[in-house]
Amino acid sequence: MRLIRSGCLCLCILALGLSISAVAYCQAAAPAAAPAATPPPPSASAAELKDAAAKAPSTADLQKGDPGGTITGTINDVPPADSKVGVTLPDVANQVGQNKIAINFTWTLIAGFLVMFMQAGFAMVESGLCRVKNANHTYMMNFLVYGCGLLAYWLIGFAIQMGGAAGNANLGGLQTLSSEHPLALFGKTWGIFGGSGMFLSGHTYDVGVMVIFLFEMVFMDTALTIVTGACAERWKFLTFAVSSVLMGAFTYPLFGNWAWGAGWLSQLGTNVGLGKGYCDFAGSGVVHAVGGITALAVTLIIGPRIGKFNRDGSSNAIIGHDISAVLIGCFILAFGWFGFNPGSTLGASANGNLRIGSIAVNTMLAGCTGTFGAILYMWCLKGKPDASMSGNGLLAGLVAITAPSGFVSTVGAAIIGLVAGVLVCLSCAFIENVMKVDDPVGAISVHGTNGLWGVLSVGLFADGTSNYGGSWNGVTGSVTGLFYGDASQLAAQLVGISTLLGFVFTFSFLLNLGLEFFLGQRVSAETEVAGLDLPEMGQLGYPEFVFRQESDIFSHTPREFAIA
Amino acid sequence: MAANTGQGRSFATFLVGLTMACVGIAYLSTGLGKLTAVVGVAILLVSLLGFLKIKPLEGKPAQKAGSTAMKLVGAFIATFGWLLTLVGLHVTDSVGGRIVLALLGIAVTLFGIVYILPAAYNKNAIWKT
Repeated sequence: MRLIRSGCLCLCILALGLSISAVAYCQAAAPAAAPAATPPPPSASAAELKDAAAKAPSTADLQKGDPGGTITGTINDVPPADSKVGVTLPDVANQVGQNKIAINFTWTLIAGFLVMFMQAGFAMVESGLCRVKNANHTYMMNFLVYGCGLLAYWLIGFAIQMGGAAGNANLGGLQTLSSEHPLALFGKTWGIFGGSGMFLSGHTYDVGVMVIFLFEMVFMDTALTIVTGACAERWKFLTFAVSSVLMGAFTYPLFGNWAWGAGWLSQLGTNVGLGKGYCDFAGSGVVHAVGGITALAVTLIIGPRIGKFNRDGSSNAIIGHDISAVLIGCFILAFGWFGFNPGSTLGASANGNLRIGSIAVNTMLAGCTGTFGAILYMWCLKGKPDASMSGNGLLAGLVAITAPSGFVSTVGAAIIGLVAGVLVCLSCAFIENVMKVDDPVGAISVHGTNGLWGVLSVGLFADGTSNYGGSWNGVTGSVTGLFYGDASQLAAQLVGISTLLGFVFTFSFLLNLGLEFFLGQRVSAETEVAGLDLPEMGQLGYPEFVFRQESDIFSHTPREFAIA
Repeated sequence: MAANTGQGRSFATFLVGLTMACVGIAYLSTGLGKLTAVVGVAILLVSLLGFLKIKPLEGKPAQKAGSTAMKLVGAFIATFGWLLTLVGLHVTDSVGGRIVLALLGIAVTLFGIVYILPAAYNKNAIWKT
């Protein structure tokens, strides 16, 4: 019966998706308007510049104030190379170039600051979904992961990931990041890891490199903090810290290099003719799938919490202590996502970068439809619009749109988000009931499963209208998916998915298996039952709360509302 | 015993070792760089031994060791699926062929991750007893 109901719901969602697709097709089929004739560019001469300088407001004018903002910012603000000669055309051209880079620096930095604030959202979501006796421990993991990741990334991670990523004109060229270590295989040269930028010293002591470091660093930290949620309530604090340092130093940067740092996945287009190479606009794969898949590897090793599974294999829903923190945290994350996706243009002033408006709207829409997907799934099949799963639906939609946000239409974004919202519910149930893996916050499903879906969706929904300087990953043209005529892009995305599952998972698994040998991943049973706050952190998260017995909590768990 | 000063000291040693190793790698072309890298790796090994020494003090976790061989088989199958996808890029030039081989590789990898590894860990799971 449940299968039939699930099937009916999926069919309804499919029908909705097909209807939206039909609308999109009709829109695409409409003839494009003929381009308007562009007027010839105005010429500027030394005489015109002198004339403009003569007409500029004087100091006396400016001393009167400028309430309307009409006389502030004129030719007087362009610094001349030679004050005796005055402002020349090269001076103006240099100022225009610097303004372009300044706009892009400011845009990228502010986007990075927004992504940094997502750490607060993750902390609230993860702690809210854990029991009160582990609140301090969960918050502290989210707090320290920022420092662990930043240190490791500054030491070596950034160099591995971006050390060969020279050539981004938006940020001034980044020519000092020019050391990509290649591997020659099957007659082609493939990038494996970068080498420039350790400690941001030497010739990488450069303003553009600092901007890209900050932006990439906060992305890396997002991936790291995903793991803390899946392993919450039983991960030894010491092991968490060491594991996070190693992930920030090696696991994340390696895949990041392959996708974003001139590595071999980005070369699939130029080397073997697969679309525009592996395309991941803002990191469904690089950030979220890497985090989610590493979370699965560690969670397998660490095992389920005491009381999660019964002897017959059935599961108990262990309810979190603060749903308000969860939902506010989700909103903080959704806010930060406007840095994540639109910020990934790495500029607002360059060819094609005005697509940031479209990217921001795609991000909003996918989050919205993801929420609806999860709410409707839970409401129709379980009878209640489950709050925590609704939050996960929002995040799933945002995760899924992260990779395709720069390449798809709003209709595509809505479908991607809707599928993600349903997928996160199905994935949570599968991971818990079939794999018997305990993920207290649903991080593996939200970030892992939907990260992979996001990567795949680029190969399906990319509509070929984006134009970021006329090429992507060194291949001329726009990223175009299967539904718009390019099956080879889908092949490139599948190679990326295979790498995420086959390489990233195994690498993380073996690394953490090593840590299990040297440190042990899990706290003692006594510590786990008492709650990790006092034994691991020495302080309760909420010292004035009165704890109930575990058995009391389980007996009140509304099993019919659980996703299991 | 939970968190303790031994853990804190070993973690600090680990961070110092990692930093020195990275400094050494950054300046590996110089003699001093090579020396720093060797010292850094040595300090890292000392920190790992420190971790190993204090590990028994933690107490017994609520888990039982599964089959190590099965875990390694699961990891091997996961990697094998990826290699299958990579080889698929070179055995055929057709897009369809590459998609099929990539899907095959993903299926093999998922078999290792979704079936073999959970079975290895759940075989002697403590919740079954």
